[in-house]
Amino acid sequence: MPKQPYIARKQELPLSGDATSLFLQIMISIAVFIFALTLSGVLSINSMLYNWNQSILGSLTVQIMPVNNANKEKARAETLTYQQNAVDFLQKVDGVTKVTPLSDEQLKKLIEPWLGDGVNIENLPMPRIIDVKLAPDAELNFPKLARDLSQASPLASLDNHKLWLSKLIKFADGLKLMALTILVLVLAITSGAIFYTTRMSLGLHRFTIEILHTMGAKDTYVAQQYARRMAFLGLTGGLVGLFFAVPSVFFIASLAQGIEGGIISEANLSFNDWLLIASLPLFAMTIAMLTAYYTVKRTLQKML
Amino acid sequence: MTTDKEKEALPSSANNNFNIIEMNNVGLRYDQGPEILSDIKLALKKGSFHFLTGKSGAGKTSLLSLMYLAQKPSRGAVSVFGNNVNFTHRDNLALLRRKIGVVFQDFRLLDHLSAFDNVALPLRVCGMNEREVRKRVTELLSWVELDRHMQDTTATLSGGEKQRIAIARAVINRPDLLLADEPTGNVDNDIAPKLMKLFVELNKLGTTVVIATHSEKLINDFAYPRLHLQDRGLHIYYPSDISALGGIHA
Ligand SMILES: Nc1ncnc2c1ncn2[C@@H]1O[C@H](COP(=O)(O)OP(=O)(O)OP(=O)(O)O)[C@@H](O)[C@H]1O
Ligand SMILES: [Mg+2]
Repeated sequence: MPKQPYIARKQELPLSGDATSLFLQIMISIAVFIFALTLSGVLSINSMLYNWNQSILGSLTVQIMPVNNANKEKARAETLTYQQNAVDFLQKVDGVTKVTPLSDEQLKKLIEPWLGDGVNIENLPMPRIIDVKLAPDAELNFPKLARDLSQASPLASLDNHKLWLSKLIKFADGLKLMALTILVLVLAITSGAIFYTTRMSLGLHRFTIEILHTMGAKDTYVAQQYARRMAFLGLTGGLVGLFFAVPSVFFIASLAQGIEGGIISEANLSFNDWLLIASLPLFAMTIAMLTAYYTVKRTLQKML
Repeated sequence: MTTDKEKEALPSSANNNFNIIEMNNVGLRYDQGPEILSDIKLALKKGSFHFLTGKSGAGKTSLLSLMYLAQKPSRGAVSVFGNNVNFTHRDNLALLRRKIGVVFQDFRLLDHLSAFDNVALPLRVCGMNEREVRKRVTELLSWVELDRHMQDTTATLSGGEKQRIAIARAVINRPDLLLADEPTGNVDNDIAPKLMKLFVELNKLGTTVVIATHSEKLINDFAYPRLHLQDRGLHIYYPSDISALGGIHA
């Protein structure tokens, strides 16, 4: 018997000819682009939040402004009373484990770098500082604490930086929630588009599918062909989206660097974050594949 | 809708004691239209051979479509290989269809595929390996004298060639039940007997055969019983009755 020539196997369901293919690919690439940018935003916010929380957690500092009085002895005594009031108040706050007013010696050490050696602080109107240690899981409401503290001891104030950070954290949390909403929406819109185009395509290829059914094909057989096709569209669309997203993330990061050294530079994407962003095309592929698969299964159920 | 609980085990092929097709009180209507088949009662024994006749529009194609599980009856019970269609799980219906070969009146070939791929379809659908597929399809295509057109898309073939492809596709999987709707309508007079011989050979190997036809010649050449559709009902005539009647289309 002569050797059989290789006979190319054509697609039984000519899905690659579907007019919706390009539309879906572009749609998925845009979705992945938006997803990648938003996700890198969420991850940056997360890393900022982590750094900020670290600096808020564990300890805080309370400052007691010195009382102004010509009589230095009296001024010092009054200041110390305010300090004691603040200490008494702080010791009763939930989550506070230890309250230590700094001694003259310690205060001196703190300001030495600025004022130089041999200064007698007793002659200066020195603010007093209280070091407060917090339980690791303490959830303090800083703005409220600040208010209560100044009521207990009018000259006491919470470290400004922390108060401000805690407000920033709240804001960042809000941003994060918004970004997560965007992620969910993008996901919903994309799988919705895949759902409807798949349904449309099933209608378009109804004749072929009926024949496949008559030949004894299970729904899975058809569903797998759709899943394979959508996996391809998801992956390629996803790669295109990623290709445009990565330079955009760097661009935005470079803009952010310019804002103000201290805060945004803490927003570094870690290696794992980048890995997550790089895996988005695979994620898109999986979502596209599963959506198509189950759409086909569900839709064919309604045909005999 | 069937649930898992209603799922029936498929009868093993070793069990010969059921009718290949059984219909009781079967009625069929399309949408809200009138019944085009009414109170059909029918039992086809394994290994039997029947012609299906009736005027155009009598419902031959519709009756066959109930047999190849393309639709469910509007009322009554249809059993195929001993499985009541109404209580059989979708996936099991698919398995039953693999044992049925169908030649459609309008061929229903996939015109974007080659003749080869069309004939290979039933084998690939049930996951046969490509080497075996190639061997079987090539063999059968040369038998129906279409090996020259193996790689042509079926859109480019003549009516008779398409019909032979459709028949090859129906028999490639050595079906237990072969349903053919006007299978010799478009082929030359010299190839028609050859195709009939194929059906007869398959029948001798155990395949149950039903052939819908208008051809009096075909019916007269073969002494097989005849299912006749008339006034929405089904009547069965045996070869001896038919001569007594002096022909049913009289
Ligand atoms: N899908 C359908 N929807 C609605 N009516 C249909 C459908 N298929 C068939 N019919 C109707 O059912 C009746 C029987 O049709 P069917 O095709 O079964 O007849 P037939 O005996 O095969 O005819 P022919 O010999 O011309 O092939 C006809 O009146 C036809 O109009
Ligand atoms: Mg017909």
